Amino acid sequence: MSADRHDNPTPDQSPLDTGHDYDGIREHDNVLPNWWLATLFLTMAFGLGYWLYYHVSGAGLLPRGEYAAELDAAAQRARAAAAGRGEPDDALLKTLAASEQTTAAGRRTFEQSCVACHGAQGQGVVGPNLTDSSWIHGARPVEIRRTVAAGVTSKGMPAWETVLGAERVDEVVAYVLTLKGRNVPGKPPEGSVVAP
Amino acid sequence: MSMRVSSRKHAPGLDRLGSINDDGSRRHPEPADISGRFTRGRRAVYAMLMAIYVTLPFVEIGGDRAVHLDIPGRRFHLFGSVFNAQDGFRLLLLALTVAFGLLFVTAVWGRLWCGWACPQSVFIEGLFRPIERLIDGPREQRIRLRQQGFSPRRLPLVLLKHALYLAVAFLLAHALLALFVPLPKLVGMMSHAPGVNAVPFGWAMAVTGVLYFDGAWFREQFCVVLCPYGRLQSVLTDEHSLVIGYDAARGEPRRGKAAPEGRLSLPVVDGTREGDCVDCGRCVSVCPTAIDIRNGLQMECIGCAQCVDACDDVMDRLSRPRGLVRYDSLSGLVGHQRRRVRSRVVVYGLVFASVVTALIVTTVLRRPFEAELVRARGMPYVVDGDRVRNTFELHVVNKQPVAAELLVTTLADDGTEVTLPVDRITLGSLDDFRLPVVATRSRTAGSASIRLTVTEKDSGRVRDITAPLLGPVAH
Repeated sequence: MSADRHDNPTPDQSPLDTGHDYDGIREHDNVLPNWWLATLFLTMAFGLGYWLYYHVSGAGLLPRGEYAAELDAAAQRARAAAAGRGEPDDALLKTLAASEQTTAAGRRTFEQSCVACHGAQGQGVVGPNLTDSSWIHGARPVEIRRTVAAGVTSKGMPAWETVLGAERVDEVVAYVLTLKGRNVPGKPPEGSVVAP
Repeated sequence: MSMRVSSRKHAPGLDRLGSINDDGSRRHPEPADISGRFTRGRRAVYAMLMAIYVTLPFVEIGGDRAVHLDIPGRRFHLFGSVFNAQDGFRLLLLALTVAFGLLFVTAVWGRLWCGWACPQSVFIEGLFRPIERLIDGPREQRIRLRQQGFSPRRLPLVLLKHALYLAVAFLLAHALLALFVPLPKLVGMMSHAPGVNAVPFGWAMAVTGVLYFDGAWFREQFCVVLCPYGRLQSVLTDEHSLVIGYDAARGEPRRGKAAPEGRLSLPVVDGTREGDCVDCGRCVSVCPTAIDIRNGLQMECIGCAQCVDACDDVMDRLSRPRGLVRYDSLSGLVGHQRRRVRSRVVVYGLVFASVVTALIVTTVLRRPFEAELVRARGMPYVVDGDRVRNTFELHVVNKQPVAAELLVTTLADDGTEVTLPVDRITLGSLDDFRLPVVATRSRTAGSASIRLTVTEKDSGRVRDITAPLLGPVAH
C-alpha cells in the first residue's frame, strides 16, 4: 500500500518522534498501554512465585516426585483391591463356568489371547491340548487359574494376571473349564491323567 | 489502569492508538447509535450466527449430538460421521483449507470477516454493547459517566449491568462446552457439586471469565493488539482488496471548521471548490476502535461499516450522493480501476480449491472400518521342525455409529498356511478387536508373504493387507 497520503505527520509536528525513519515510516515513542505493562508485571510476579513454590520451598512436587506419588497411590489401590477380593476357590470357578455371560466373556478373551498357542478349539498348537484329560500343572480349577495367572515362563506361557487383570483371568478360566473333556483331536496328551 | 479520560483533547490520529491515553490508561471508545443498511445487515447476520451457535448443542444426528468432540474418547462426532485418531491427517487438510480459504477471501474482500462474522464482533456488538446501551444510555451519557467516575448512587445499575454481562458470558461458555460434553450430560454435571466434575467446571469458569473480561472491558484491544488475523492484514491485502475508505478527492477540502493540526488535508486546488465532507465527525463518533477513517486505511479498522452508514445518513440529509465513505479498494478510492483478478488471488484460489477437494474426496471415500496388521509381541519368528511360524495380530476398528460385521479372507503363496481363529467378526459401534493370525511356511521356501482381505458386509468396502513372513535365511 504505497499511496503517499498515508504517510505519518512531518517529524517536527510530533513530540514523540524518535528521529528514526524506516522507508518513510517514522518511529514514535508512544506510551505502552497500562494493561499490557500489567501483563508483564504479572508474569514476573508469577515467575517469582512459581520459583519459590517449586524450587525453593519444596512444597510443590517436580515431575519425578509426582510420578513417585502416583506409583505409591496405585500400589495402595491394588493392595486394597486384592485384600477385598480374596482368592477364588474351586466352587466359585465352577459357578462361573456355569454362567453363560462369564463364559462368553471368557471366550472373547480366549480368542484374543490364547488361540495363538492353544488353538481355536483348545486343541493345542504350541501349547498343550486343553480339551483332553491330561494336565501338566494340575487339573483343579484353582490350579488351572494359578497356571493362567502366574504363567509358566520357562515353557513360554505368559503370566496373564498382570496383562488381563484378575477378573478377566477368572472369566477365561471359566471358559477353559467348559473345554475340559471335549477331546478335540490336536496335540497328543501331555502331563498326568486326571480322572474327570 | 484508571478509566478517566485524559484532559487533553485526544482526537484519533495516525501517530497513536485512539483507545489508549497519553499516560497509558484506557480510553474506551463509546460508539454513537447508528442505523443504516450495513448495520441492519450485520445485525441480521449476527442474529443468524448466534441462533446457530446456541441451537447446535440441541441438534441430534445419528443417535448422537450433531457436534460432539469427545476428547477423552479420542473421537469426533460430526453430523452423523465419526472420526478417530486414524483420521488425523484430515485435520491437517482442514487446517490448510481454512488457511488458504482465509487467504483467498482476504485477498479479494479484505477484512470482511472481522466486522460481520467474528465472534468478537458478534458477541460484543450483538450482546454486550446493547446491554451497556440499555443501562448506561446513549454515547453522551456514557462519556459523562466515565468522566464522573464511580458514584455509590449508581451501584445498583452497575451491578445489574455486570450481572447481565456475566449471565451472557456464562451462557455462551456453556454453549461452547456443550460441543465437548453432550448437553444432557452437561446438565447432569451442573446438578452436582463443582468438585465432582472438576475439569469441565474449570473450563466453564475459565471461558466464562475470558468472555466476561473481553465483553465488559477488553473489547477492541483484542482486535487492535492481540488478533493475529488483524496483524497479518497488511501482507494479505493489496491496493485491489476491498476495504472501507474515505474518498478524499471528493470530500476534501472539508467545509466548516479547519482541520486540526496533524490531520491530513489536501491543499485547495482552486479557491472556490469545497469538498463534500462537512466535518460533522459522525464517522469518528460511531467508530468502535476509535479511529478517523478520513486519515486513510488504518490497522485498527475492523471493517464494521458503521462509518459508512453514518456518512451515508448525513449525505442523504444534505441531498448529496452516498459513498463519501464507502466499501472500495484503495485503488478505487483514488479513482483507478480495481483489478479483481491478480496473481495472488489466482494462486490462493487454486491452492484452496485443491485442498478443499482433497478434504472432501478423502472424507467421502472414507472406509467405515480400520484394519491394521501388526506382528505379535515376542519373537519375530519361531522355527518348529521344518516350518517357520510368524504370529500376527489383525486390529480391526468399527468406525460407524452402528454395529458392523467384518469378513476376513486370506490369500497365501503355495506352501504357506494361514490360520485364522475366526473369519467373521461382529463389532459394536466404535468397537475394536484384535485377532491373532498365525502363518507358517516351509523352512526352505525362502521368502513368502500373506495377504488378508477384510470386507465390511453391508457396504462391501474392502481393505487389503499384505505382509511378508520373516524367517531364517534359507540355504
